[in-house]
Amino acid sequence: MSDLSAALKAFANAIGAENVFSSEQDKIDYSDHYSPDEKKHMPGAAVAPANVEQVQAIVRIANQYKVPLWPISRGKNFGYGGAAPVLKDSVVLDLSRMKKIELDEENGTVLLEPGVGFFDLYDYIQARKLPYWLSVPGNSWGSVAGNALDRGVGYTPYGDHCMQICGLEVVLPTGEIVRTGMGAMGGASTWQLYRNGYGPGWDQMFVQSNFGVVTKLGLWLMPEPEALLGIDFEFDKPEDLGWAIDTIMPLRREGIIRQSPSMGNWLRSASVMTTRDQWTKDRGPLDENVVTAIRRRFNIGWWSVQVRCYGPLEIAEASLRILQKAFNGKPVLAMKPVRWVKGDAPEGSPFSGVPLSFPLANANWHGGRGGHIGYSPVLPPKGNLALDQFRRTYALYQKYGMDYHASFAMGERSLTNVNQVIFDRDNQDMMRRVDAFFHDLVKDAKAHGYGEYRTHIEYMDLVASTYDYGGGALRKLNERVKDALDPKGIIAPGKSGIWPAANRKGTRS
Amino acid sequence: MSFNSRTVAALALIAATSLAFAADEKPNATAGTQVKNATSGVSQDRSSKSPEEALFVEKCGMCHRQMGMGTIILARRVDPAVAMLEARPDLPADFVIQAARAGIGNMPRISRGEVSDAQLKVIAAYLAKGQK
Repeated sequence: MSDLSAALKAFANAIGAENVFSSEQDKIDYSDHYSPDEKKHMPGAAVAPANVEQVQAIVRIANQYKVPLWPISRGKNFGYGGAAPVLKDSVVLDLSRMKKIELDEENGTVLLEPGVGFFDLYDYIQARKLPYWLSVPGNSWGSVAGNALDRGVGYTPYGDHCMQICGLEVVLPTGEIVRTGMGAMGGASTWQLYRNGYGPGWDQMFVQSNFGVVTKLGLWLMPEPEALLGIDFEFDKPEDLGWAIDTIMPLRREGIIRQSPSMGNWLRSASVMTTRDQWTKDRGPLDENVVTAIRRRFNIGWWSVQVRCYGPLEIAEASLRILQKAFNGKPVLAMKPVRWVKGDAPEGSPFSGVPLSFPLANANWHGGRGGHIGYSPVLPPKGNLALDQFRRTYALYQKYGMDYHASFAMGERSLTNVNQVIFDRDNQDMMRRVDAFFHDLVKDAKAHGYGEYRTHIEYMDLVASTYDYGGGALRKLNERVKDALDPKGIIAPGKSGIWPAANRKGTRS
Repeated sequence: MSFNSRTVAALALIAATSLAFAADEKPNATAGTQVKNATSGVSQDRSSKSPEEALFVEKCGMCHRQMGMGTIILARRVDPAVAMLEARPDLPADFVIQAARAGIGNMPRISRGEVSDAQLKVIAAYLAKGQK
């Protein structure tokens, strides 16, 4: 049996009572503000250490009293659970006070503690006028390390954040500190410079996992390029999705386009600029006339995509010419060139790493207290498959009376179909539909061999169950590792569907 | 999550016109096509002139300065000229503390780990300074 009250006393002794939060208000503050049901995942308390030694102390106390911990960096994983744990009554291990930044100016790498947010790192770089650009996600309020560890994405060639990780410091579930990659060597001088290390490479083991608490994360930064050129494309019809993807993907594979263009529907744009009730009082599926009126007002396509070329000016210009040629003669609604060259006024967008928070305003689309959950299956990079995916999921949105909000992000060899299921938590009727809708979406993806790359805490088991090759061989492997590293099962039970032995009964269907 | 550069252009224009004209001024639907780089304009002023202001920028600025989520949503509910909290003449310190801890509308709750009670007091006093 766990003993929370005894653990809380021990935590207070170890890190100071002022850093242990266990009032009713504290529990509410650490639950998921945007989720359909906050109570289901409400934490039992939170603790906020100041340094790695305090993290070790907390982990050891948690082992002693068998109290599960839910590590968060800054707790802004909105759409995926915010700060809240999978397992109700877990103690949130809040690392947001740990904010050290060590930047290697010559090599363009940074070693970060989990509390460093994108705005913090941006301010740090700006204050020193360093020639590096961040890659930021649509909600840049959160942690740089936390986002990379959850495989978040951004808009630049460094936008696959997890791939930029170079070396971790991790507190293992039993309290020991390990450093991965070259950091395994005492006095290492290449920890943030060479990813592979010697022997098995274990950076990825701590990504989307519950095998340890990452306390430092090495990351590569993009050197500021001479030029950032591109085109903003607008498309008139839903069917344009297919050929547009087939036009861009070859350039993506060849490396002519090095960032991941994201083709999003009209609502992705409109949901931050306006609210639904400005256009219709009808709560049913949106009439296409309403969609057309909104598109006209804001001059947006049914789909839009922004494609960017980075590098020395002559290389970026050559890439841009190839991009233009690829679209020659094709039925694009609008093409608008954008151009920034070193010496111009700051480019001022996330394409040059400027952090932002306004995309979160889409939570206000329905008015009322909004929220959203993310549904993001990964597809092969084929236009016809994307179009088919769009049609099937659009029909499901219609069936459940939800407004279609989605995009297709083009990776080097894949498409990520990011859906934001936006809802109004004050609308009981709508909230009753969300769960069944989500289950249907996951089932539909699975039937086509598509898996989600990331999911909300409520659906971690559901998504894990779709990775079922060999009778769930991967999950069995994960749980063998979990049992070996975390015998008391205290770090983030249920994260990514990985449960410690003690919690495993009854969690499987 | 992603964004659309026309969105940025339109939002920037909404912010600009909001300050210059009446609250119900409609943005020009073709705005953004005339500027060289429509995606610019997301950057916010991150500067500060006092430790209190610096704390506000660090903890709240991302949403409550230019182009922030809070600023954009508040522009629908209050006079857009005072959509940024620092421009508000009527923010009692107690209200700021309550809103931060309990959340308000679409604003998520701010935990004590992220902003301590002492820090929140400083921020609330900074925002209340405009109170008549």
